[in-house]
Amino acid sequence: MQTTDHIMELAGHRQEDFSVCMGCKVCASVCTINDLDIDMNPQEFLLKLFMGEEIKADNPLVRYCTSCYRCASACPWQIRIPEVVRAVKESLGIEARFEKAFKKSLDIWGRVYEPFVVIMSAPDLLMGGYIKFLPKWMEYAGFHFPHKVKRIRTSHTLKKGSSSKEGRS
Amino acid sequence: MEYGYYPGCSLTGSAKKLDQGVRQVCKKLGHNLTEIPDWNCCGALEYGDRNELMSISGENLKKAEGIHKEIVVPCPACYKNLKDADSDKSFNILSPLELLNNENLLKMEQKNDLKGQVFFPYYGCLLMRPEGSAIKNKNIMEDAISTFGGDIDGEKMKDRCCGGNQLFLNKWVTEKLSNLILTKSKGTIVVFCPFCHMAMKTFAEGRKVIYLTDLLLYVMGENKSL
Repeated sequence: MQTTDHIMELAGHRQEDFSVCMGCKVCASVCTINDLDIDMNPQEFLLKLFMGEEIKADNPLVRYCTSCYRCASACPWQIRIPEVVRAVKESLGIEARFEKAFKKSLDIWGRVYEPFVVIMSAPDLLMGGYIKFLPKWMEYAGFHFPHKVKRIRTSHTLKKGSSSKEGRS
Repeated sequence: MEYGYYPGCSLTGSAKKLDQGVRQVCKKLGHNLTEIPDWNCCGALEYGDRNELMSISGENLKKAEGIHKEIVVPCPACYKNLKDADSDKSFNILSPLELLNNENLLKMEQKNDLKGQVFFPYYGCLLMRPEGSAIKNKNIMEDAISTFGGDIDGEKMKDRCCGGNQLFLNKWVTEKLSNLILTKSKGTIVVFCPFCHMAMKTFAEGRKVIYLTDLLLYVMGENKSL
């Protein structure tokens, strides 16, 4: 489901939070995605949402936002744009294998158990050319058993079974 | 001083070195860290539903209620999430960087100095912004390095994004952003974020990547080399 109301609800913003955006484009002047040689103007993204237009999964902000918060920090109205982007991703059901594994681990143990996440993401790691980094990553390796947290209840745990598609470039 | 301690998931695994370093440095400063009992993941940057994220992070604050008021949180993503979840400011959520100041740096037992060595103090994103959850002294790593005689480089790049959270999604993004930072800085890269550590380590050729805690422990003679 992608409606402006739903996305704002997910992002914890209100309609008036978006309507105060005056189009100063300071977010565009600091957006990290521009460092990737992709012209990115988060203000246009907000405007599209405000106007009720559909944001597609191939939007560069949806694909590449690094949650650096440079935009949110510069915004005169403190609109948390990275969280709006994450809300759009959630509403589009975009979840890479790595992200799925992360949440699955949290569902099982209440914590991220890295060996599990690595195993679950193995197809992407093998196909994605990550093997060459293994020598550099040896210092991160080390085995420990997962610790299971006794008390955790999240709405994600309750949402299990909801459909999602894998998003990866 | 007594503090609650929230290590976060990566500090139990790939960032174990940061966990050990924080514990050792805090002990040296006379602080006692006690883990929040049964702590759970903070949700990092993986949830699109802010209410859900805040409820996951907030669970940890419920577990700390009545036990700890001051909580030390080393991982910048956890630090931001726990700070955001503490909407009524019932707790004092602190980065270990906020336990350092010019006074205790000067008092630190010094067995090695950093003279003649160049360092790039790299904070990344979440320690620096948004303002509401950022650390107060945004020069503390520079203060530490210069107190012990080291030279600083790459100041303009210290808060740029390395794209660490895209490493397992779109690694070209992390590679491009990290290389931008690497080409505009020189010397040993000093970080405090597990994401940044991994991104820098992956793409820096021939440069050391260390946590600030490694540097402090070297200065205090606890580590033999950097």
